[in-house]
Amino acid sequence: MSQPSELLPDIKNVSRPGDPLLEIKDISKVYPGEGKSTTVFDDINFNVYKEFLCIVGPSGCGKSTLLRIIDGLDSPTTGQVLFHGQPVIAPSPKIGVIFQTFALIPWKTVLGNVEMALQATTVPKDEQVKIAKKYIQDVGLEGFETAYPKELSGGMKQRVGIARALALQPEVLLMDEPFSSLDALTAENLRQEVLEIWRDPVYATNCVVMVTHNVQEAVYMADRVIVLNHRPAKIVDDVQITLERPRNQRDPAMFDYSDRIISKIS
Amino acid sequence: MCPLRLSSPSFRQPRFWARGSKPHIIRTIEGAVIVTAIFLLLVEVVVNGGLNSIIKNGLTPELPLFAVFTLGRMTIAYGLALAFALSYGIATAMSHRASHVLLPLLDIFQSVPVLGYLPIVFAIFLGSGPDANPFGLQIAAIILIFTAMAWSPTFGVIAGINAIPADIKEASRAYGLNGVRYLRQIVLPAVYPELIWTSILAWGSGWYLIPIEEYVPFRGSPISAGGLGSYIAQASRNSDIASALFGLIILVGIIYAIDQLVWRPLGVKAEKYKYESTAAPRTTATPRSGVSEGVRKAEDRIVAPVRTFYKSQRSIVTRALEVVRVTKLLHATERLKFPERISRIPFWGRLLSYAIFLGLVAFGLELLVAPRSESILNALTVLAANVTAFQLVGLTLFSLSRLVTAYLIALGWTLAAGILIARSQRFSRWLVPIFDIGQSIPATALFPLVVIILVDPFRNTPYLGVTLNFASIILLLTGMQWYLLFNIVGAVNSVPNDITEATKAYRVSGGRYMKQILIPAAFPAILIGSIQAWGGGWNALIVSEYIDPKANVPGLGSFLVEASNLPNVLLSSVEIFAALLAMTATVLAINRLVWRRLLRRADRYKFEA
Repeated sequence: MSQPSELLPDIKNVSRPGDPLLEIKDISKVYPGEGKSTTVFDDINFNVYKEFLCIVGPSGCGKSTLLRIIDGLDSPTTGQVLFHGQPVIAPSPKIGVIFQTFALIPWKTVLGNVEMALQATTVPKDEQVKIAKKYIQDVGLEGFETAYPKELSGGMKQRVGIARALALQPEVLLMDEPFSSLDALTAENLRQEVLEIWRDPVYATNCVVMVTHNVQEAVYMADRVIVLNHRPAKIVDDVQITLERPRNQRDPAMFDYSDRIISKIS
Repeated sequence: MCPLRLSSPSFRQPRFWARGSKPHIIRTIEGAVIVTAIFLLLVEVVVNGGLNSIIKNGLTPELPLFAVFTLGRMTIAYGLALAFALSYGIATAMSHRASHVLLPLLDIFQSVPVLGYLPIVFAIFLGSGPDANPFGLQIAAIILIFTAMAWSPTFGVIAGINAIPADIKEASRAYGLNGVRYLRQIVLPAVYPELIWTSILAWGSGWYLIPIEEYVPFRGSPISAGGLGSYIAQASRNSDIASALFGLIILVGIIYAIDQLVWRPLGVKAEKYKYESTAAPRTTATPRSGVSEGVRKAEDRIVAPVRTFYKSQRSIVTRALEVVRVTKLLHATERLKFPERISRIPFWGRLLSYAIFLGLVAFGLELLVAPRSESILNALTVLAANVTAFQLVGLTLFSLSRLVTAYLIALGWTLAAGILIARSQRFSRWLVPIFDIGQSIPATALFPLVVIILVDPFRNTPYLGVTLNFASIILLLTGMQWYLLFNIVGAVNSVPNDITEATKAYRVSGGRYMKQILIPAAFPAILIGSIQAWGGGWNALIVSEYIDPKANVPGLGSFLVEASNLPNVLLSSVEIFAALLAMTATVLAINRLVWRRLLRRADRYKFEA
C-alpha cells in the first residue's frame, strides 16, 4: 500500500498515473427540496494519486459536500468513491480531515482533542498519549497540551486540527477550506507549514485533497487543480501545476494558471 | 491500525419527491381529531358506560361557554403579561442604572412559586364579607394567571435586546436611528423571536393554573369561577372520572390546537428575525438543522414503499423537532450569562431590590390585615405564638426530600430519552410528537385523576401514608420532567455540525460519543432545565401535598393550604406569609448555592458562538 518513505520526495513532485488512491466515480448529489429538488453536482469523475490536489469552485458548487462524500461523512445520490479499490461508506482511520471551523470539542484540552482521533484505533492507551504529544509538538503547540480551545487563537486552533489529523498517520489528508477562517498573515504561515509537513518524508501522508475557493492558494499549493463551475456543478478543468517547489507567489506563471482557472469558473 | 470498514457497492436510486403538502391547518385538525379519538376510546374502555355520566353532568352543556371564559381569562392575562414584559424588559435593558435594581428584583419575583400567591390574591380580592365578590373572583383569577405568565417573556425581552450585535447598534447610531424609531426598527424586531418563544412557555404556565384558580376554597365550600378548569375540578370532586377525563380532553384539545394554530406558525416566523450569531458558516451540504438532515438520512435508508408512507409524517416530525429546538433551548447561552450579570450588580442594587420585595410583602400583609383592623405587629405576635421556626424548617425539609426524589427520577428518564432521541432518528420520529402532546397537558389537570386512582381506594387502609407520598412524588414529577426533557433534547440536537462531523470522521461513536460529546454538550441545558424544573416542582408542591383534611402529607405545601383554611383570619394571613417567605428563601438559597455555582462551571461546555 504505502511506499517506503525514502521514495516519497520523488513521488510528491511529479504526479504520475499509477494506482490511484481514491477513485471518484459518477458521483452526483441531489437535495430534495419543497416542490423541486436541487442538483448540487452531477457526473463527477476523477482519480486521486499521491499528490496535492485542490478542488476549486464558486461557493455553492458542492466542493465541501464532495470532500465529505470522499470521507464517507455524506453519501452521494448516485455513484461511489473507492479507496484502494474498495467503496467508502464510513470514515476510515487512514483518512484524516481538517475542518474550516476547526471542529474542536470545547470541553476537551488540546491533548484531549488530538487523542480523540486515536481512541478509535487499536493503538495502546499510553502510546496514544505519546503520539498525540509528539504531533502537538510538531505543529508548534508544545506547552499548550492542557489548554482549552477557547484559550487559543484561530491559528493555534487550526494547528490542533492539523495535529489531530496527522496523529492518525493517515494516507490521505482531506482539508475543507482550512485557512479561510484565519486572518491573512496566520493563513500564510500555516500554508507554508502544511506544505513543509507534506514534503517532509517523516510523515506518512502523501496524498492531500484540499477544497478552497481561493484560486491563488490552490495554484500556490497544489500539484493539480480540479475546477468546478456553478451549480449544478461539473468538472470544467483539470490543471497540472508543474511549477518548481518552493514556489514564488510573484512568479508570473502563477498568474497565468490563476487566470486560466478563473476564466473557467466564470 | 484498524481494518477499513468497507461494504459491497451500495446502490442508490434517484429519489422522487412528489410532495403532496396539505395546508397546515388541515394537518393540525387531523392530528387533534386523532388524539381526541384515542383518548375517547380510552375513556370508553376504562370506564364502562362513562358516556352516561358525562351526559348526566349538568355542566356539560355549558362547556363551550366555559371554554370561552377560560380562553378569555388567559388572553387578558397574556395581554397584561406582554405589556409588563415589554415595559419592564425595555427599561431593564435600556437603562444601565435601572437594571441594577430591576434585574435582581425580577430574579426574586420569578423565584416565588406562583401558587404561593394564590391564597393571598384570593384573600384580598374575594373580600371579607360572607359572600365572595364575583367581580373580585374574576380579577383574582386573571391576576394569578398573570403572575404565572409575566416572568419568562420579561427575561425573553431582556435577552433579545442584549443579543443585538454591537455593529447593528453602532450602525443605527451612525444613521441617526434614535428614540422611538430605534425602538420600532431595531429593538422590537430583535425582541420578537425571544418574545414568541418565551410566550409559548408563559402560555403553558398559564394553562397550569387553570384547573386551580377556577375552583377555589372559600369559607369551607369551593366557589367556581366558571371555566374548563372548574368543570374538571367539580367532576373529580364528585368522583365523576368520566366527566373529569372529558373535560381534560377538551382542555388538551384546545391547548394543542392553540399551540399548532397560533404559536407554531409564530415560532417559525420568528426564526427570520434572529441575528446569526454563528460566525462559522454551515457547509452547503446542510442548509437545514442537523436534525432534519438526520431525519432525511434515516429516510434514505428506508426502502421505497415505506418511504411513501412516511413521507407525509416527515414534515410534521421535522417541524416538531425544529420548533422543539427553538422553543425550548431558549437562547441557553444568554440564560447562562444571567447569573454572571447579577453577580456583577453593585451591592446597593441588590440591597434595594430585596428592600422593594420585602416592602411589597409588607404591603400585601397590610392589605390583608388592615380591613380586619389589626396591626402587622399584632399579627406577628400571633404567628410567634402558634408556629415555631423549627416547625417551618422541618416542613421545608420534608418537602425538599420529595422534590429531590422527583427530580432524580425526572433527570434519569429524561437524560435517557434525550440520548435515545439524539442517537436514533426512528425513536425521535415517534417520541417527539408523544412528548409534545404530553407536555401540553397541564400537570394540575392530572391531579384529580391521580387522586381518584392512588388516594381514594386506599382511604381507611394503613397504606394511605405510602400511597399519598407516592402520589405526591408523581404529581411533582409531572410538574418537573418536561422542562428537563425539552432542554436536554434541544441541547443534544443542537450540537454544531462541524463537531458532529469531526466525531464521525474520527470515529467517536457509541458509549464514547455519549460520554465525551452528548452529556457534556447537554450539561448547560441540564442546568437550565433543572432550574426550570425546580420552579415547576415548587409550584406543584402546593397542590401535591394536600388533598383533603384526612389525606395529606406533612410539608410546606400542606401547611400553606391548612393555613388558608384557618378560621382565625389574622393567624391565617400571617401563616400564609410565613410559609411563602420560607419557600421563597429556600428557593433563593438553592438557586444561589447549587445552580449558580454549577452554571459558572458550565461555561466550558458551551459551543463557541
